[in-house]
Amino acid sequence: MGREVSESCVDSLLTEMVSSYCDRFYANKPELAARRIEAIGFQVGHQLSERYTMERPRFSDHLEAIKFICKDFWSELFKKQIDNLKTNHRGTFVLQDNRFRWLARMSVDPSSEGGDLSQDNSAGAPENKAAQATSMHLYFPCGIIRGALSNLGIPCAVSADISNLPACSFVVRIKA
Amino acid sequence: MPEKMIVCVAVVGHQNNPLYIQSFTEADDALKLHHIVHCSLDVVDERVNNPKKSGSPLNETFLGLLYPTENYKVYGYLTNTKVKFIVVTTDLDVRDADVRNFFRRFHAAYVDAVSNPFHVPGKKITSRTFAERVSTIVKSFGLSSAG
Amino acid sequence: MDPANTPLGRMLVEEITPVVMVLCTPLVEESCLKNSLSFVEMLSPFCSFNNIDVPVRTASDQPYRLQKFKLRLFYASDIRQPNLEVAKERLKQVITQAGEKDDLCSDPPHFSNLLASSESGIQPSWFEYFNKELVRTMSFSDHESFDHPVACLLVVSSKDEQPINRFVDLFNTNKLPSLLNDGAMDPKILKHYLLVHDNQDSTQEKAAKILTEMRSTFGSNECQLLCINSSPHGLVERPENPWAPYKCDPSPSQCLGCFLNIDDFNKIKDLMQDLSSKHIIPYMEQKIRVLNQQVSATRKGLRNQIKNLWWRKGKEDVADSPDGPMYTFSSIESQIRVLGDYAFMLRDYELALSNYRLISTDYKLDKAWKRYAGVQEMIGLAFFMLDQSRKEAEYCMENAFSTYLKIGPSGQQNATRCGLWWVEMLKTRDQYTDAASVYFRICGEEPLHSAVMLEQASYCYLLSKPPMLRKFGFHLVLSGDRYKKCDQIKHAIRTYRSAVSVFEGITWGHINDHVHFHIGQWYGILGMYDLAVKHMLEVLACSHQSKITQEFFLRDFLQIVQKTGKTFEVLKLQLPKVNISSLKVVFDDHRTYASPAAATVGESLWHSLEEDMIPSLSTAKTNWLDLQSKLIPKKYRESNVCVAGEAVKVDIEFKNPLQIPISISSVSLICELSVRSDEMESALASGANSFLIVGADASSKTAELQNDDDFINLTTNRDMSSENSSFTSSEVDFSLGGGETTVVQLTVTPKVEGILQIVGVRWKLSDSVIGLHNFDSNHMKKKNTKGKRKAKPAPRDNLKFIVIKGLPKLEGFIHSLPEKAYAGDIRHLVLELRNQSEFTVQNLKMKISDPRFLNIGDQENLKTEFPSCLEKKKASEQSGVHGSSNNLSQTVFLFPKDTSIQGKTPLLWPLWLRAAVPGYISLYITVYYEMGDISSIIKYRTLRMHYDLQVLPSLDISFQISPCPSRLQEFLVRMDVVNSTSSESFQVHQLSSVGHQWEISLLQHVDTIFPSQSLMAGQALSCFFMLKSCRKSLTSQDEISTLSPLLGSDVRLGPEGSNEPLFDICSSPLADFHHCERLHLGMSHQGDPNTVDFILITRPVKDNIIPGVSNPPHLFSHHACYCSTSSTSPISWQVDGPHTLYHDFSASFYEINLRMIIYNSADAVASVRINTFDSTNSSGHLSEGTTTVSTDPSGDQAGWRDASVVNDIKVTSDVGGSRAGKSLSVESVPPFIWSGTSSTRIQLEPMSTSEIPLQICVFSPGIYDLSNYVLHWKVVSSNDPGNQEGASRSSGTCQGYPYYLSVLQSS
Repeated sequence: MGREVSESCVDSLLTEMVSSYCDRFYANKPELAARRIEAIGFQVGHQLSERYTMERPRFSDHLEAIKFICKDFWSELFKKQIDNLKTNHRGTFVLQDNRFRWLARMSVDPSSEGGDLSQDNSAGAPENKAAQATSMHLYFPCGIIRGALSNLGIPCAVSADISNLPACSFVVRIKA
Repeated sequence: MPEKMIVCVAVVGHQNNPLYIQSFTEADDALKLHHIVHCSLDVVDERVNNPKKSGSPLNETFLGLLYPTENYKVYGYLTNTKVKFIVVTTDLDVRDADVRNFFRRFHAAYVDAVSNPFHVPGKKITSRTFAERVSTIVKSFGLSSAG
Repeated sequence: MDPANTPLGRMLVEEITPVVMVLCTPLVEESCLKNSLSFVEMLSPFCSFNNIDVPVRTASDQPYRLQKFKLRLFYASDIRQPNLEVAKERLKQVITQAGEKDDLCSDPPHFSNLLASSESGIQPSWFEYFNKELVRTMSFSDHESFDHPVACLLVVSSKDEQPINRFVDLFNTNKLPSLLNDGAMDPKILKHYLLVHDNQDSTQEKAAKILTEMRSTFGSNECQLLCINSSPHGLVERPENPWAPYKCDPSPSQCLGCFLNIDDFNKIKDLMQDLSSKHIIPYMEQKIRVLNQQVSATRKGLRNQIKNLWWRKGKEDVADSPDGPMYTFSSIESQIRVLGDYAFMLRDYELALSNYRLISTDYKLDKAWKRYAGVQEMIGLAFFMLDQSRKEAEYCMENAFSTYLKIGPSGQQNATRCGLWWVEMLKTRDQYTDAASVYFRICGEEPLHSAVMLEQASYCYLLSKPPMLRKFGFHLVLSGDRYKKCDQIKHAIRTYRSAVSVFEGITWGHINDHVHFHIGQWYGILGMYDLAVKHMLEVLACSHQSKITQEFFLRDFLQIVQKTGKTFEVLKLQLPKVNISSLKVVFDDHRTYASPAAATVGESLWHSLEEDMIPSLSTAKTNWLDLQSKLIPKKYRESNVCVAGEAVKVDIEFKNPLQIPISISSVSLICELSVRSDEMESALASGANSFLIVGADASSKTAELQNDDDFINLTTNRDMSSENSSFTSSEVDFSLGGGETTVVQLTVTPKVEGILQIVGVRWKLSDSVIGLHNFDSNHMKKKNTKGKRKAKPAPRDNLKFIVIKGLPKLEGFIHSLPEKAYAGDIRHLVLELRNQSEFTVQNLKMKISDPRFLNIGDQENLKTEFPSCLEKKKASEQSGVHGSSNNLSQTVFLFPKDTSIQGKTPLLWPLWLRAAVPGYISLYITVYYEMGDISSIIKYRTLRMHYDLQVLPSLDISFQISPCPSRLQEFLVRMDVVNSTSSESFQVHQLSSVGHQWEISLLQHVDTIFPSQSLMAGQALSCFFMLKSCRKSLTSQDEISTLSPLLGSDVRLGPEGSNEPLFDICSSPLADFHHCERLHLGMSHQGDPNTVDFILITRPVKDNIIPGVSNPPHLFSHHACYCSTSSTSPISWQVDGPHTLYHDFSASFYEINLRMIIYNSADAVASVRINTFDSTNSSGHLSEGTTTVSTDPSGDQAGWRDASVVNDIKVTSDVGGSRAGKSLSVESVPPFIWSGTSSTRIQLEPMSTSEIPLQICVFSPGIYDLSNYVLHWKVVSSNDPGNQEGASRSSGTCQGYPYYLSVLQSS
């Protein structure tokens, strides 16, 4: 992979994408915007997983795949691994990144966070605005994870939780 | 002559649908090659479903020699994303190393092809650059061993 | 499970059994042949015993009982290796017969069903038989001894003379098979002497005598007597004939053994039983014992082994022939082999195994490969029967197999047999994939065998767990090809067809096409063209194939079709593809369309256009439905209505999926028209979908079409002919290039009342195949419900019509309507309405979507030629063509009551077209008319016309009006005209101001600014006019006059003194269009007196004909409405007084009286206060005043001021002027003061003027600018939204205008 691109470019591209989808294309339909962003993430993840799983043996079970996401995949994307992985052994995994770089430069008043934000973006309270904006930025990584896993043959639903920034945890629910 | 060695390469999606199949023979035996590739899928399934029966090491992407037909050798490769690569060679003393190497390069080409944002996942690969790249890989196949 | 019960086990028990060699005299055969049986055939049913129950002892004296047993009887002549060619022929026969058996028409089971069924169910039953035959072809080889005869049955007839000698002769060596002669086996074998007596010849005494004689010679218990043919009359009937299965050639089986009555039957049975249990088995047992002792004596034990080894090493130099050195029967190796085989045949497998093992090493050392292989084979089988050490068993089989192959062609056959056994072994252990590969290895170059083997292999793949379907399919295809190679086409087809189910629906198009195509071809060869075509159809739409292949496929397909001779009708023919979603139906019920374009317009648009014209849909529905409602249920309202004699048009899209062109001919609609009758009601009552079963013969056909989706020879032409009278349908031919798509319009015209059903479309592909595609009902259903949602009674896409009897139908057409025009173009058009039928239509109404563009003229100006009809007449007859107010507004235009169109005489009616605004304009015209005769179901119809018009921009005109300060009620009008066309040049003709309260006049003659009257492309013109409002005050009748602009004032812009007639803007088209323009701009300005409308009339320059726009003369009228005259403030005033005065200042100062006339243009009471300043800061005020004036938003005032100054200077003398300039510039203005009140306040009524006296005192001569006053005005209540400026600024301040007064010293 000779070609590389500066991180700042990627960051600004991400923010630009999010803003253009939320404020321009689907200004008054946040769900729609979210879905579109997530879809973009899905495609990216789909393709990246294809690339990053080259030269490695196939995964025998879900856990391996998740581990791959936590270790190699994540470090390919963010030059760091997922810091903490939890699972209930019934198809739900929680991937926690203590310092998620795409939120690193985002200043959100942590007090005003209501839990699983990327799930309910309907809350319109003004102090929640920042949280919403953040959550909008999280649909993309969610999509990436989902895309990667589904390309590895693991259909799942991914949601993000930023109850304690800058730590961010992604909840992966594998569809039985 | 190396370019004689590989007669057919194929990419088969995870629903066993052909994504890309290209034969490199002058003769019009596309049909036969289709058949061979198609049958080899059975073997791939067999290998994947019970790897201990087939001798191949567990979960390696390279599936090794799938089966020898009367005058071909069919090798298989299964990516993590359940995409199968099949290569059919004529000469009967192919070194595994060569095939592995081939598959590595082929996989890279494939990844670049599907990373094209205009490529629809699960649809046939129509990119011309991919075709060219594949043919170069095929031509260079076994050169390392031959020369 | 018990190995003996496995298929292989059964096979072995069947095949590896003692052989009895039969030698008999011709007379014996003769007497047997009375039963049409050979001697062996006669005995053979009694050779196999299921529970013979013979006690046996093994070599090591273990007793066991033998239950199943079988003897194989052969004539001595047959005991030799069969000729290969003969064997091949025989096998081929078997296959061919099998091929004949299976029927090729019924579909082979889908593989999923096969998987469900058991193994025996899966495979064709004849495989087993074939395999058996195959094995048989390898019997009696000398390298193995289980085919060697164990006993010899000598048979002599009682009719033979000297039977004893005959017995002896029978067994003289030259007759014996080579095996015994060449020493491969022991010539002295167990003999059994049988005397056959035919009861029909003589009594048994003679036979008995002979028997005793025999007994004395050959020993008592080796001799037996068999009496046959005991029934004198050959009529012995048996429920199931025991001999039937043993006759290979199917002869009438009832006469088999017809002379053998029941005790013959039993005799034979006893004979065989006795023979096997009393003689053969004991003999074999005995022999086993003897041999075993010998072997153990010579070979068992270490000493013997070593000795044996040494010995073999010794004879190392043996020529390495394929089957090694020759072993005579006396050789120890042969004996061991015999021992093994006998033990095997008597089920003593341990003993057999041990001996086989013993010998195999020897053979190996001797490089007697064939024998070695044979022994290995037997070891494997023995292991299998013992059901132990499977691996080893398989190893042995493989070993044997490969060894056989190693020894070249001679071993091939044996290899095959070995393979078959091996396969069975693997099958019994469910190692189907291995079995399949073995099959694969069996099939040598001999194509027919390999075909069978491959087919069996394929079934193995199917049986393997999990089933390997792809390999199943592949091997079927392979074997199919092999079959084809050796002309076993039926088998080929069978295999391919069973493969179809594997490949169908998968994306591997190449394979799928290949399979179907070949099946088709082969059916073609067999002459089963229907099936051939059926399969060929599968590959027709092979868009993924190469062009050549496509051509190839198509050509073969057509060839086959031609071979059939008949024309096929193929439902859902793939060529070309019918895009069902593109289906569009256009038909006329009470809504008729003048052009297809009109039909495409959305119904809602027409609806809105027609709603206030037709007598309101609801009533409309009832007033023709309540007639129906007697005989028709409510459902009727959902079904379409079409009129007999009027075509129903169907647009449908065809696409050619191939890269090669295809020719389509005689495309037409499949229709059924069931003539209206009572059963129609029932059908109607039973609802829409059961509608398909209307009409006697048609019903069956449609039913077929509905449910049966493979092709059927329905004969549409039949009911074409039968229904020819009732409707006609159009036929279209066209050809599609590669990948082309085309939309075809098909029409069907019902002739009689009834119910018309459009079933589908049929076409002919390259004149050989008729394709059918019926518009399936569910598609219609969907649309149908959609239709229900719409209020109107006719859903478009329902293909079922109720044909009502013929109605008059208007056809409308507008003559000379251009498709291109420049904005402002005014045309004179004629609408022509025709009515073909003889019934009259009456009570016509018409409505036009956009009266700005299209206006309805009066009957009389049909004749009048254009544009001269618009020219101004004398004032006397001017009142002739005034805008008739009835067609002004959006309301419906009613044709005169008496107009009724009938027969051939068309109705012509004038229309005025004016291209109002640039752009693409669609004009919708709908004409409503009612039927002359009341009896018709439909009371009224509407004719819908639709035209598209492209309007190009021509002239952009804009007007700017500013009040002229010096005069009240006068305005300066600046007209800017830009020719925005690309090439046209226009000649400005006249400018008219609309409304009698305005008078427009040239300020400056056109020639001066605009010498050439034509305005070139891109050229701009601006000129000034004076507009005078000649209105005294606001009165009611003015209001009205603004509504209908009857009068106007015109200015000719032509050259000076040109006598081109002016156009009367009050004449109908202009006035009407003007009115429409006003309406278009909206009511907002209505009644606002401060606005004026202009009409600029231009004409194209004569010499150039505008392309695309036909016949001159043209007239362009550009309308500018509601140009507001009101300036920034509603208050306008004028200082009135002398301009030049003479006074003797020596006497006194000079008082000058002036008056100011103030006009309130707002239509509300305004209060105005005038403040005058004293002269101290007047200069400042002057400058200030000028600045304010010059920065006044309407910049033209500046220009105007200059002009006035010029005028003043003209009025005054040069000297004064020069002085004035000096005085202005150099010293400040000499002081003057306002005498009188410095501030005056007045109230002004709306639209009224008032005068205020002013007075100034001057003390010295000079030029004075009396502009140093300010008007403060306030509009008290401005509730009128019209006058924006006035309303927005309810109060304001105005600087005074400069008013120059020059006072001179009077001398």
